[in-house]
Amino acid sequence: MSERPTAQELAESILEFLGDEILPTIADPRLRFRMLVAMNALGIVHRELEALPAEDDTAARALAVRIRAGDVPPGTLRRVTADVEARLRVASPRFLETYR
Amino acid sequence: MIAEMREALQPHLSAILGREVEVSDPVLLAGGASKEAWAVDAGGERLLVRRAAGGVIHKHTLSLADEFEVLRAAHEAGVKVPRPYGYIADLEGREAFVMERLEGETIGRRIVRKDELAGARRALPAQMAEELAKIHAIPPSRLPFLGETRVEGMVEELDEVGEPHPAIELGLWWLRENRPPARDSVVVHGDFRIGNLVVDDHGLVGVLDWEFAHVDDPARDVAFSLVRAWRFGVPEKRLGGVGDVEPYLALYNELTGLDVRPEELDYWELAGNVAWAIGCLTQAQRHLTGQDRSVELAILGRLGVEVEYEICRLLERVAA
Repeated sequence: MSERPTAQELAESILEFLGDEILPTIADPRLRFRMLVAMNALGIVHRELEALPAEDDTAARALAVRIRAGDVPPGTLRRVTADVEARLRVASPRFLETYR
Repeated sequence: MIAEMREALQPHLSAILGREVEVSDPVLLAGGASKEAWAVDAGGERLLVRRAAGGVIHKHTLSLADEFEVLRAAHEAGVKVPRPYGYIADLEGREAFVMERLEGETIGRRIVRKDELAGARRALPAQMAEELAKIHAIPPSRLPFLGETRVEGMVEELDEVGEPHPAIELGLWWLRENRPPARDSVVVHGDFRIGNLVVDDHGLVGVLDWEFAHVDDPARDVAFSLVRAWRFGVPEKRLGGVGDVEPYLALYNELTGLDVRPEELDYWELAGNVAWAIGCLTQAQRHLTGQDRSVELAILGRLGVEVEYEICRLLERVAA
């Protein structure tokens, strides 16, 4: 399973958004200070995530190559769906709960 | 930036309108990551200037010059579109074209939900079928630069992303194995769905965003509005979150003399989902490669898994 953007890359994109687009619009000094503190905290999250080993996507790559080659044994759809559901529970749990 | 754009537009708009015109301060509209849209009034006309965005080259879409030509052809064919005014090869360093600025709603979430648009939703299925029939009647020879798209094109785009996505592979595999007998290719819009249609109280006012136009199986266009993501949170209305498929398909067949079957729509609905799943990944790539840094593009890389789930569920259905 490989997920892009990674959690680290998502944290980075939020940091850029807050710094480039939100911070310059905050006039209230107290809010501005708290925003800087929040960005510092997010920076810590970002650096901690950076230190984690990269996810191993070997199995997903092998499966993708097999399906591309037309090698689709029975049970493949069930296996793939289970993996997609697991990723969905992280990325968009409400979508899964309300799917009908 | 506003003043420069106004000054740059003045001679172009005067030339296009054929008289010396006063130009209002252009307003850059929100949305549209690969194209800029400027609202401007000149000589009493409500105009929209569609201009290339900085540094963004999407090789799978039309240039603005070609898109303008498609818009003109659609206008000639009587399709409800903004009136095309003129093409500008160099507007402050980028190409652009000028068209009429239509009044109405384009935000999908509002179109499927707003109380005031309930009447529009009743009218839309028939109106969508009518516009598609007119689009598909445009002779391909009128637009010789349009290419054909096939399933292989999607594979290429996926490989450019370079990530393993077994669910998308499964969808592509099924599409290769189960392709319905090919129909004669026609000019298709390529992105015909709620969100790319201007809608007012009476329904469809205009068809926008022709950058994905190409030559293809007409059923592809007919099915595109069925893709779950383009139902904008009203999944029980399979046609774009606004209505039922059956009367829409029946009217389309009646107007075109074709006999597009419901199973073909199932096929192309799956194809539309596969295309959008890959689209999510390529949008995220624009962020990840630094071409266009944006948290909205970034998160699409993760939300694509919603589309992968839909692919799995559709495959379950066709396998049953």
